[in-house]
Amino acid sequence: MGKKEKEFQIKWKTDLPYRYSIGKLAVKYFEELKNKKIMGSKCPKCDKRYMPPRAVCANCFIEMTVEDMIEFSPKGTLVGFTVVNYPFIDPNTGGMRPFPYGYGIFKLDGADTYMMHFVDETDHTKFKIGQRVEAVFKEKTEGDIYDIPYFRLIKEEEE
Amino acid sequence: MDKEVAIVGCTQTKYEADKIDLTISELVFEVVKKLHNDLGITNDDVGCVISGSNDFNDGRTIANMAIQDAVGSVRKSESRVSGDGAFAYVYGAMRILSGEYDTVLVVSHSKCSEGDQFLINNSIFDPYYQRHLGLDQISSAGLMANMYMSKYGVSEEQAAKVVVKNRKNAINNPHAHLQKEVSMDEVLSSPMLAYPLKELDFPPYSDGAVAMLLTNKEKAKRFTNTPVWLKGYASCTDAYYLGHRTMTDLIGLEFAAKEAYKMAKIKDPVRDLDVAEVFEAFSTHELMIYEALDFCDKGEGGKFIDSGETNINGTIPVNPSGGVLSSNVAMANGLIRVAEITSQLMGAAEDHQIPNAKTGLAYGMNGICSQGNCVLIFGGE
Amino acid sequence: MPKHNVAVVGIGQTKFRSKRRDVNIPEMIYEAVKMALDDAQMEPKDVDAILIGNMDHFEGINFSEMWCGIDAAPGYLKPVVKIATGGTTGSSLGICGYYNVASGIYKNILVVGWEKLNEGGATTGIITAFDPVWERPSLAGALGPLALMANIYAARYGITSEQAAKVTVKNRSNAANNPFAHIQMPDITLEDVMNSQMISYPLRLHDCCPQSEGACAVIYANEEETKKITDNPAWFKGVSTAHYYTFGCDDLMFDLPTAAIASKKIYKKLGIKDPVKDLDVAEIYEPTSWSELSWTESLGFCGKGEGGKLLDEGITQMTGELPVNPSGGVLSTNPIGATALVRFAEAAIQVMGRGGKRQIPDVETAMGMGFGGSLWTELAILGKDPKPLR
Repeated sequence: MGKKEKEFQIKWKTDLPYRYSIGKLAVKYFEELKNKKIMGSKCPKCDKRYMPPRAVCANCFIEMTVEDMIEFSPKGTLVGFTVVNYPFIDPNTGGMRPFPYGYGIFKLDGADTYMMHFVDETDHTKFKIGQRVEAVFKEKTEGDIYDIPYFRLIKEEEE
Repeated sequence: MDKEVAIVGCTQTKYEADKIDLTISELVFEVVKKLHNDLGITNDDVGCVISGSNDFNDGRTIANMAIQDAVGSVRKSESRVSGDGAFAYVYGAMRILSGEYDTVLVVSHSKCSEGDQFLINNSIFDPYYQRHLGLDQISSAGLMANMYMSKYGVSEEQAAKVVVKNRKNAINNPHAHLQKEVSMDEVLSSPMLAYPLKELDFPPYSDGAVAMLLTNKEKAKRFTNTPVWLKGYASCTDAYYLGHRTMTDLIGLEFAAKEAYKMAKIKDPVRDLDVAEVFEAFSTHELMIYEALDFCDKGEGGKFIDSGETNINGTIPVNPSGGVLSSNVAMANGLIRVAEITSQLMGAAEDHQIPNAKTGLAYGMNGICSQGNCVLIFGGE
Repeated sequence: MPKHNVAVVGIGQTKFRSKRRDVNIPEMIYEAVKMALDDAQMEPKDVDAILIGNMDHFEGINFSEMWCGIDAAPGYLKPVVKIATGGTTGSSLGICGYYNVASGIYKNILVVGWEKLNEGGATTGIITAFDPVWERPSLAGALGPLALMANIYAARYGITSEQAAKVTVKNRSNAANNPFAHIQMPDITLEDVMNSQMISYPLRLHDCCPQSEGACAVIYANEEETKKITDNPAWFKGVSTAHYYTFGCDDLMFDLPTAAIASKKIYKKLGIKDPVKDLDVAEIYEPTSWSELSWTESLGFCGKGEGGKLLDEGITQMTGELPVNPSGGVLSTNPIGATALVRFAEAAIQVMGRGGKRQIPDVETAMGMGFGGSLWTELAILGKDPKPLR
């Protein structure tokens, strides 16, 4: 640290902990994730299929419950991608997020909404919009968000 | 101000220590949906939304992002006052007064259970000179209570009476968090947190949400026969550093009250007001609020509680809901005060109803020890 | 028309830079506040109320308004309120200020947006804006999603990196005419942009906005007060906001649907039929070069997929029919809590004809835009009078 920084700045490092409630639908989601199933919620009025599941259909303004949860395919179609190539502190861990990593937006088969996730490809020329992707599960699932560490690109010949 | 902005309905959750099974969005949806049902409206009847919340409290940057679905603001205008819900009410009222919106939904929420309240409050202090001292709302309150009590000779017993009163009132408020009476002895013998204030001189931390619908004169009667009208408003901010303040008196609140009384044509508040709901952050604070609101003379707060005038059957009942000492939903406290005054003036407060309440005062606050003050005067039909 | 018309009567901005180590937070904000007060020839005591905002987690300060409203602005014994809505913080402040005066509650108000981004972590702070369960684990701040939006947009309409790079060249060339702008690269070329480092495909370094430190202060007044202060105010003709779903992936929002919703609403209200003809200048919130192309479509300046053509035809250049971002825009200056207020302030400056080298001749009507939250849009249209166009 240079003299000027020493004189002109105060360092402040606070670890500000929280424990967030996730709601009943997410509890069910993680239960099923352990069985390698991906669950969303379906609005009982307009039939819109939401991923992630949540308790409110914003369009109909009515409630969805655990009974309204349905399973989605682990496969989906890519609508956009990027390769993140910049450093930052990851608030999930407090450490630097390793980079580069692939990052996609896609719609799971059966869902009406999109989702974002890591993709195991860091060469942007290897991605194609419209390409099929699939969730990769950890061998031993634990019922948490990291059970799906990333999605993989499905090669055309596989389909 | 005469019959320009009406509150036509309010809903509150039950306040609890830990609503662990509900997300913030679900918590907010509960009050908004209930409001729709109570008023027989749909989301299309809501012109725009103003929310009141705080990013530190929610552990989320842009905390209002989490509640867009739940307040029904998809494709609509929503804005968020960062801070106490009373200020969110004021912004909502301004949107009606401007003539650009007929209906405004005002919402405020908090889940104190999710964050570390010491760190959240310590972060209010500037990082250069004060934060490292570990100041928070509890230690600041200790300083303020000590200075006030020694200057005016107010006793710990007098302070404890506030707690006994408010906790007793809370028993009749189904929304209240703590619904157990406490005795003077229990308050006085509870563990010392920051001299001269003890554990029971402070509120609990609560989870909950509150919502209300505002409208204009033309539309009010469509929703209810008992709209509640804004008659006076003023806001005033005291100095930031505790060392810059007159810690023995709530100067900012005094100024705000004077202005709000002027607007509402209130000359003698004890006579002209039927009920008050105030944001009392600790027992002694309520005594100081009496003085700043001119319910009694300076230094007479202790004697005023002794007189029983602020009891539920007194001449100016203060916090018939049980106040913040019974339910402390940080950020929603001010809007809860507005909702409580609304139910009083609608005659809908049931077991904690003040008979024939026609005019009421709600006081909301931001920051440490009454720094940011918002005084609102309401009138019934 | 609101109950009371509202005008901008004073403006102050700091010179935006990546680091302002020479000043602390209140000192930095005070620079802009003092400039705005001087501009309106007002004493601190003349100010009725203060609105001030930034994002809590960017600097790690809770209730920053209780500090800065007193130490950096004349808020002592006055109302001080904080509005914070992420990227739209500046426009949400700007719009809240409008309602404070339009409602008749205050005769005037001082509106302040600020950020000292180098002191905290914006990317880290932005990640915590998203859902802790579903979104945070994989989110990469604002740029990751913006890269995805650019990627989808490019694929859908065949927009090229060259077309996007031209936005940076235009805006950074404009910034050279703005003494307050942060990034000063007057001679930037297409090649410079195209050869800059790939940050998040397809975004290169120069496709992205910087992080800036600074503050913007704007004073509004009602008609009676305005008459006393200036004979050259900029009047609000209207404001408009559109929000969207909580989850950013509930709809494919690459083209910012809220910009279309908010702009249609305000154009209809003000009788604007063709924004390119009816508006004289627009200051829009483009976090990336690609987003300016896409946002100009959603704001109705051209048809879908024609943002590149609009730029190629020179319409959004300084000399074009509807210059976009003569200030240099967000690609040149981005102090998040102030950014959208700077858009409103720059629109007002253009209406007042006080833009110096960045002035567009004969501006009657100007639009300012805020972008933020989970893809929200806020707009204000200012003009020489408060009336609708038709």
